[in-house]
Amino acid sequence: MKYIELQITSNFSFLRGASHPEELVEQAALYGYPVIAITDHNTLAGVVRAHVAAKAKGMRIIPGATLVLQDGPSLLALPTDKAAYGRLSRLLTTGNLRTEKGKCELYKNDVYTYQEGIQFIIVPPHELNDKFDFDNNFKQAVKEYKAAFGTSLSLAAVRTYQGLDQKRFFRLHELSRQYNIPLIATNDVHYHEQSRRELQDVLTCTREKCTITQAGFKLHANAERYMKAPEEMIRLFRQYPEAIDRTIEIANACQFSLDTLEYIYPEEILDKNKTPLQQLTDLAWQGATEHFGNTIPDSISKAIKHELTFIEEMNYASYFLTVYDIVKFARSQGILCQGRGSAANSTICYCLGITAVDPTKFDLLFERFISSARNEPPDIDVDFEHERREEVIQYIYNKYGRNRAAIVATVTQQHLKGALRDVGKAMGLSVDTLQQLSKAVNRHTDTFDEQLLIEQGLNPDDPNLRKVVALTNQMIGFPRQLGQHTGGFIITQDQLTDLCPILNARMEDRTNIEWNKDDIEALGFLKIDILALGMLTCIRKAFVLAREHYGLQLTLANIPQDDPRVYEMISNADTIGVFQIESRAQQSMLPRLRPKTFYDLVIEVAIVRPGPIQGDMVHPYLRRRNGEEAVEYPSKELEEILGKTLGVPLFQEQAMKIAIVAAEFTPAEADLLRRSMATFKAKGQVTQFEKKLIDGMVKNGYKPAFAQRVFRQLEGFGAYGFPESHAASFALLVYVSSWLKCFYPDVFASAILNSMPMGFYQPAQIVSDARNHGVEVRPVDINHSSWDNTLEEKSGLYCAMRLGFRQVSGLRENDINLLVQHRAAGYTSINQLYDAGLQLSTLEKLANADAFRSIGLDRRKALWEVSALHDHPIALFAGQPSETAYEAQITLPLMSMPEHVVQDYATTSLSLKAHPVSFLREQLSALHILTTQEVNNAVNGIPVKVAGLVLVRQRPGTASGVCFITIEDETGCCNLVVFQHIFTRFKSDITQSKLLMVEGMLQREGQVVHVIVSKCYNFSKLLRNMTVIPGSRDFK
Amino acid sequence: MTKRYISIWFRHLLTDWYIRKHPDAGDSPLVFSTQQRGRQLIHATSRKAENTGIYCGMAVADAKAIYPHLVITPYPPDQEHHLLTALGQWCIRYSPVVSIDLPDGLLIDASGCTHLWGGEHNYLAEITLKLSAYGYDVRAAMADTIGTAWAVARYGNDATIIPGGLERKALRPLPPAALRLDDTLLTKLQQLGFHKIEDFIHLPINALKRRFGQAFILRLKQALGGEREDILPLGIPSVYEERLSSLDPIKTAKAITIAITRLLDVICFKLQQEGKGIRTATLTCYRIDDQVVQISIGTNGASNNTTHLLKLFELKIPSLAPGPGIDLFILQALLVEDVISEQEKIWSATGSADNNITKLLDRIESKIGSGSIQRYQPAEHYWPELSIQPFTAPNDHQQVNAPRPDKLLPQPLPIEVTAPIPDYPPMLFRFMGQLHEIKKADGPERIEREWWLEDGAHRDYYIVEDAAGRRYWIFRLGHYAVSQTQWFIHGFFA
Repeated sequence: MKYIELQITSNFSFLRGASHPEELVEQAALYGYPVIAITDHNTLAGVVRAHVAAKAKGMRIIPGATLVLQDGPSLLALPTDKAAYGRLSRLLTTGNLRTEKGKCELYKNDVYTYQEGIQFIIVPPHELNDKFDFDNNFKQAVKEYKAAFGTSLSLAAVRTYQGLDQKRFFRLHELSRQYNIPLIATNDVHYHEQSRRELQDVLTCTREKCTITQAGFKLHANAERYMKAPEEMIRLFRQYPEAIDRTIEIANACQFSLDTLEYIYPEEILDKNKTPLQQLTDLAWQGATEHFGNTIPDSISKAIKHELTFIEEMNYASYFLTVYDIVKFARSQGILCQGRGSAANSTICYCLGITAVDPTKFDLLFERFISSARNEPPDIDVDFEHERREEVIQYIYNKYGRNRAAIVATVTQQHLKGALRDVGKAMGLSVDTLQQLSKAVNRHTDTFDEQLLIEQGLNPDDPNLRKVVALTNQMIGFPRQLGQHTGGFIITQDQLTDLCPILNARMEDRTNIEWNKDDIEALGFLKIDILALGMLTCIRKAFVLAREHYGLQLTLANIPQDDPRVYEMISNADTIGVFQIESRAQQSMLPRLRPKTFYDLVIEVAIVRPGPIQGDMVHPYLRRRNGEEAVEYPSKELEEILGKTLGVPLFQEQAMKIAIVAAEFTPAEADLLRRSMATFKAKGQVTQFEKKLIDGMVKNGYKPAFAQRVFRQLEGFGAYGFPESHAASFALLVYVSSWLKCFYPDVFASAILNSMPMGFYQPAQIVSDARNHGVEVRPVDINHSSWDNTLEEKSGLYCAMRLGFRQVSGLRENDINLLVQHRAAGYTSINQLYDAGLQLSTLEKLANADAFRSIGLDRRKALWEVSALHDHPIALFAGQPSETAYEAQITLPLMSMPEHVVQDYATTSLSLKAHPVSFLREQLSALHILTTQEVNNAVNGIPVKVAGLVLVRQRPGTASGVCFITIEDETGCCNLVVFQHIFTRFKSDITQSKLLMVEGMLQREGQVVHVIVSKCYNFSKLLRNMTVIPGSRDFK
Repeated sequence: MTKRYISIWFRHLLTDWYIRKHPDAGDSPLVFSTQQRGRQLIHATSRKAENTGIYCGMAVADAKAIYPHLVITPYPPDQEHHLLTALGQWCIRYSPVVSIDLPDGLLIDASGCTHLWGGEHNYLAEITLKLSAYGYDVRAAMADTIGTAWAVARYGNDATIIPGGLERKALRPLPPAALRLDDTLLTKLQQLGFHKIEDFIHLPINALKRRFGQAFILRLKQALGGEREDILPLGIPSVYEERLSSLDPIKTAKAITIAITRLLDVICFKLQQEGKGIRTATLTCYRIDDQVVQISIGTNGASNNTTHLLKLFELKIPSLAPGPGIDLFILQALLVEDVISEQEKIWSATGSADNNITKLLDRIESKIGSGSIQRYQPAEHYWPELSIQPFTAPNDHQQVNAPRPDKLLPQPLPIEVTAPIPDYPPMLFRFMGQLHEIKKADGPERIEREWWLEDGAHRDYYIVEDAAGRRYWIFRLGHYAVSQTQWFIHGFFA
């Protein structure tokens, strides 16, 4: 060992460091450093990544931190052992919890409290005063630190190349002798290679909120803060060799490794005198009896025994018990939940009630999901009702305490847009140019190239813009802030703060740790995802309504399975509101796939995803399924993997298995491959893997084209991985929601509306869909509606649905509760509502929503009455007639039907009275524009004109610029497809239109009808004209 | 006497003004944009822009989607106020009582003025014609009340002159917005189906008042003439101009000086009251032979000090040819700025030294010509060529980040150097044929180029002292290279 770098700022010191921890480690490995320290500012957020990268390179990391103090010079803190590391973590926790999210407030005294076992290095200022000396405050602090830390203290010396290095070194040497503090050489590394200086300058600008031309001395003067080779450091410190030696001494003293952190499961989950395995065994058999009665099928008991053996072998019992405990709580509170993830669809999880996917229906081999090659915990995510998940979270906090349970972090990475904004601002791009560029980049593309500049009419040779492009691409993937994960919980037996610092989350009553799920996984800690799912809320609400109005006792597990009528409905793409399969893409797939069994739904859920689409696996699968192509397997070994999916890889597990079996990846490598694709930066690594995969597969006799497709599919999975195990859990919810929609459309529509916002569709579509299925929908009314949408007595096949006040924009639940409370025998006049304490503004909103019909007032009359209410006698004079009572009756201008409909849309975003387009039909017919119904019944290949309100406009990233539009008129909906070149040409019409008219070619494929658009016209003016009084002239 | 009011509506005030200034800008749609909560919104549109469907309040990005080649100009805050004030002052020729009507109009009290232009019709036509000739798209109307004039100007059809007593009739077909009501009221009226004023004007006042409030009634009454409405007239603009005539023609320098002193006294007194000072001033002298001669002065900082300004004029008097004699002096302060009164520093030994320097500089510059004096101050840049900037105004003392030479060469000059590698200080260098042996050296100070401006190698600067004790600032360009290592001298320390 020659020299060890002990002061390294990575990009986890946000807006300071300009290299990823992995890049720093790689560079260090290149220079032959056996060990380096990572010392980010008041955080340990980047150390695990560095640790993982270092292990791969056979290096070691000293996980440290730069302590930036409120009342003294900064200190580098390097823990020597596990206990000292725990103290450092607690110290940072103290600073974090003291202040708001994203900040850490530390004082000298805090450091003194937790100093034991930590090596400290004083970081002197880079500047000297007029007398070429350090100022007295600093010298005083050095003295104080010496008194506090004794021999565990060093004084850092950095070659800044700022002109005064000789003098600074002289002064540091003086101080070092005066207080007997050894000098230590560091290079205050901010980036791994010199070229990153530009990015570091840009980060500084973002931090200081200035442009690069204004930044001045806020920037570093030169590019010397890169990682230097040990030989160069030794040369720079040739006059102070002892400072070099000291780095070795400190590095040797700090032997703590993150690998020694141990995860211990909490004990509360155990009954007395039982081992975790005993308890799990008991619970599993108990659950099996509940599900299957006293005669447990052979296959089930075999599966349970098999799984228990495996769990015992891998020592996972505690993990299952922890999940079980949370699910048990949810069930006791009537909160609907459903597990998914690698282990969630096991027989044991079914017995424990963690999942409702029946293992007898669904043949999934347990080990297929848990890789025993890597000793890591299985992954179970549990979805809860989104409105009640917080109860579960608070249960966990209460049960284990905040010092033992916390949410893991998510590292928010710079996406292209954010990076572009930061770089562009720093580089002084005009707001307009920035907006132009920013609009042009799709949120999920992850590269930014000159092509984009050309498309936007910018000069790609402009040096400034070229810099922007280069720097933006460098910044993509940089961590920008620590957020809280959507629901990943870590629960420990001992103090969590000994493992990792805790910080305040932005949400009240939440705390999270500094590490994200990958970090946790790398260290082998347990994580449970407590996720929120809107559809579960909806299903629970539907179950309640079904009980109240139809006397059904439904659960996720007892919905009648495999009902052909449900599959028929799904095959007809009649899926508005249904979980997962309601999107345009899914709807156009359904009639082609025509699912008939539960497993078909699993495939349906997984197939319309970036993975299979990018891998070009969708069409081969459809052809094979429809018998248009022979089912064949690329090889014998792959038949086992691809048997269930007709030889076409559709699931993430399959693609990874192929990498292992066909390209001879180790399981760990395959996992790394998937992961490297999920992160934006590791481009070089991906290319290496691509070569390895394709070469490997070709070597083993596979066609290069197939290998390419598998690789692209893996790429697609990277960003939105969707394994079979998740698809299975989702498919259950697809089936349950479809079943509800199929047999109880009234119940289903109310439940969806009451769980909004969720799904793809607006309330208007849900309501019109319900009406199309024979549900009578009744308008909002002060005497009949509640906050939620409700079901009334049967009218026809189903109960009538009464719209609730939640559909009226601007109303608050509290006001409505007041209204409902005082309703008693029903209201007969507006005054009664006013007397009940409802505010005028609320009454006005009710009037505008036309909710006074049951007392004989239309919206205009009601508003006229409401606006006079404020001189209605109250308190002492209540009950006396007001002046208004003596007013002569006034005839208000009659409201036309179009005006009513427009008002309905303005207040409830839907109208039960009529469809706006119906008023324009005459005009449209005169222009030979068809109704959507006519279009949907027309024959293939004819040119059509059709117009309607724009419901949905989607441009999925996977569709190469194609825009899907759904329009609606009084007869139904129509699906439009706009190809890229047409979209570009009619962009403003498409994006500005409320009422869109298109010309195009009708394309019919079985039941699926599309209009391939060739021209677009913005007809919104017609809508406006509907309510404008002829003759009035408005110059504005 | 019945009052008669004119309301003028500038339909595209800002853009018309802009096009007037930049005639080319009128060729394509033009908008003014403002930043609101991080969004660029359209503040004003030209007629062309309006015709494409762009409206005020729209996001600039959306507008660009409609019309990609839209010309977007940042909105100068309060510009309407400035413009209307100027236009209003111009209108004072038609009536002494003119008021601005933000954001896009003027009000003129025309009572008793119209006969001078041959009646109301001609009067109104004259005003609209003149304003149109300036390039402003205006609509104007005249009525007994401000409210009706305002309403008709903006929403009326053809008749622009409403005879007294016909306000109600004129208002009836107009939309409620013509009554100058706020948006909440307008929405409410709209919801009730009151699309025109005639839909509700007949209703009992009490019923209306209960529902729409006092403000509504006030606006209605103001328009109908039931309620008096006053306007706040613009003042006459203040001009810093003084004149002094003498009975006998003045010829001598001394007499001219006295005249200037008197004029300066009056103007400076006025300026002092307002906290302003002169940046440029012109003395115009009318000679008895009908010739006009002028001298002008300029200062480096606004001044209202008679003595100082007089000194500046005195320097110019010799160039003033009095000819047969001057009988009228007019002194005009053309550019006037707020005087920044330096706070007295009690403990500062130099006191008003800075002020004295300014005065000295004014005088030197007056003598040898403007632009001949350059003063520099440090600029916050590492790169030496960029680290100084011309002095524009006194500001906070800027720091330099490291020791810098007293004399910085405008261009570094190449020198020959013997130096050990790779980055140790040199041992000797040859500059202008002379060999300097280096005795002491400090460095290197490594300075990188501002990469956003230029590419190129960094410089390693050394402060070196030769045997004679003179110090130099020299640098090596880039890293040491075997073939071509270039050294330069860039400055001298005292």
